[in-house]
Amino acid sequence: MSIVIKTEGLTFSYSEQEHNILDNLSMEVKKGEILAILGLSGSGKSTLCYCLSGIIPHVYSGKLSGEVRIDGHSTQEMDMTMIATKLGIVFQNPETQLFFPMVESELAFGPENLCIDRDEIKKRIDLTLDLLNIKEKRNEKTGHLSGGQKQLIALASVLTLKPKILIFDEVMSQIDEKGKNAIKDIILQLKKEGKTVIMVSHNLDNIDIADRIMTLKNGRLKRFEESL
Amino acid sequence: MKFDPRTKLIMVFSLSTLAVFVIDIYLLLVVLLISIVVSNYFKENWDFLKRTKKFITLLIGIVLIQSIFSPAGEILLSINHFTILTTGGLAKGIRVILRMLIIIISATIMTGSSPREIIQALIQWKVPYEIAFMVSLSIRFIPILGEEAKDAFTAIQLRGVEIDKLNLTKRIKIYSYMFMPVLSGVIHRAKELSTSLEARAFRAYPDRSSYIKLELARKDYLIMFVSTLFTISILGIYIIMG
Amino acid sequence: MKKAYRDNEAFIEIKDLTFSYKKSSVILNNVSISFYKSEITAIIGPNGSGKTTLGKLMSGILSSEQGSVFLEGTNIKGITLGNIGKKVGYLFQQPERQLFNPTVKEEIGFAHLFMGEPKDKVDKKVSKIIEELSLQGLENSSPYKISRGERQRVALATILINEPSFLILDEPTTGLDMIKKDKLSEILKNLQQQNIGMVIISHDKSFIKSNADRTLEVSGGEINEV
Repeated sequence: MSIVIKTEGLTFSYSEQEHNILDNLSMEVKKGEILAILGLSGSGKSTLCYCLSGIIPHVYSGKLSGEVRIDGHSTQEMDMTMIATKLGIVFQNPETQLFFPMVESELAFGPENLCIDRDEIKKRIDLTLDLLNIKEKRNEKTGHLSGGQKQLIALASVLTLKPKILIFDEVMSQIDEKGKNAIKDIILQLKKEGKTVIMVSHNLDNIDIADRIMTLKNGRLKRFEESL
Repeated sequence: MKFDPRTKLIMVFSLSTLAVFVIDIYLLLVVLLISIVVSNYFKENWDFLKRTKKFITLLIGIVLIQSIFSPAGEILLSINHFTILTTGGLAKGIRVILRMLIIIISATIMTGSSPREIIQALIQWKVPYEIAFMVSLSIRFIPILGEEAKDAFTAIQLRGVEIDKLNLTKRIKIYSYMFMPVLSGVIHRAKELSTSLEARAFRAYPDRSSYIKLELARKDYLIMFVSTLFTISILGIYIIMG
Repeated sequence: MKKAYRDNEAFIEIKDLTFSYKKSSVILNNVSISFYKSEITAIIGPNGSGKTTLGKLMSGILSSEQGSVFLEGTNIKGITLGNIGKKVGYLFQQPERQLFNPTVKEEIGFAHLFMGEPKDKVDKKVSKIIEELSLQGLENSSPYKISRGERQRVALATILINEPSFLILDEPTTGLDMIKKDKLSEILKNLQQQNIGMVIISHDKSFIKSNADRTLEVSGGEINEV
């Protein structure tokens, strides 16, 4: 089994803070697995997502040491553009991830940034809508969709960049039961397509589809043992 | 009939330019009428009219203020030697209102095009794409901020602050307190938005491709020509007549 | 004429209420329901079903042309928000929307000081509430820099300082992990012992199971007891 993401001695604290929110954290993510990371609020789950996706150090700054490698390449050496084609991240709040009223425009946005040509973009949009089973939503306005559906569109808009790895940062916390189940089904479908998924949550119910569960506590990851 | 967003932009620009430079009230009314007819052609609903009803008092207030502070011509109404309405002042007030209405109504011409199309129109007009996107995204958030301000206002009142019982200074002070949650909301959103944008490779390259391509049709050229010609003629007449 | 209210008289009563946002579809269709001080009522339903709308109608934040809402027998339309706030507290889903001051201490005492109450009286009330809601140590912190759970407690404090008899909580468990939810449950149970009635709008099934006495479902414009 190949390793798609590897961190070694990852240590991070935000500029205003004194203590390390991530402390000498080491982890390996295997290709094609669904890895869940469980942790209480404030445990550093989102910070870990930012480090794994290159948002730290490229968008947010702080005191970072140690290494994060995606497919063998260090996140510090790649820029966000390179990382975007390898790893996609979906956040908690659909509102700040959806920029356009039309679903199609949203899905086209990522590839457009990479100067991909029109025909290829169309292919990717068709494929992604098909994969997520939302073909009928193609010409809908995002404002009319439910929270769960909006998250699916946010996911779709990340998938058109064709990343092999996906990170879900608490994506289910603001969604109702129906929406959660839809997202879980999609994640299982993504695994079938050979993608690697990392899910981060404080709620055990949200991550019951995971192959492996780790808990984040005191800045480090441990194997999950029944309680937080 | 679908018109290119650039055509609509030209129309809005023409009407707004006329609104600014035309002084004659009858001509302003004509421009307003044109705005209403054109806007009606492009929009599907008239709910802005309902909103205008609420503003009627505000509009009347503006007319009165203009009249009081720039009296001219014959006095129409005065109380105790204090001039309130004069023909010149009234005319000035009406002009202000007409200009405002023209600009607001003509702006609604744009509501038929999706923001992505408008962004594309600006980009094809050589506006840097970052600016086009940023402007569009900001506009998208205006109603959301309005909602937050409303919530903040409601929350303050529910805590026992009776706005109606406050004098003017205290009222202004309260509004300044409401500023905090709205501002923090803006900053928080801006942070999340910019993170999402970067994660989707925005600004990866100086250029970007576009899924949609805007092409001008014959009717677009025709309308743009007519609008520009009309506007320049009117302005020209103004300049010549001094 | 003031009537004396027993515990089984409706504190908030909704009668024949129909509500729709502008031209959209009808959110609530001719609904009638009563809420009592003696119990915690949960309101569940899919997103967009009208749960939050119902909460806002009950607290006078929104009003409808068709139907009425009665607060302790009086039509809510005739009461100002300031006076409603003395009886009914409303906790927004995002606590940030109701926090305006640079420190927690100032935030809690804000409204009372602003309306002219003497400082020492207000300070006493604030200290009492800070103790009740375990906010000690945060008096001088900025409400925007504390954790979400703490921020929610501060928002709650600003409401409880008015000593309302009834609380409406809109999705209070959003963003709270299991430990924080337990803490919230504790606080709600304390409040219930002080005879404060509550309505919890939530889609969190387990939280509702352990806290609510009665559950109502809003769906398709109707309200039904579950």
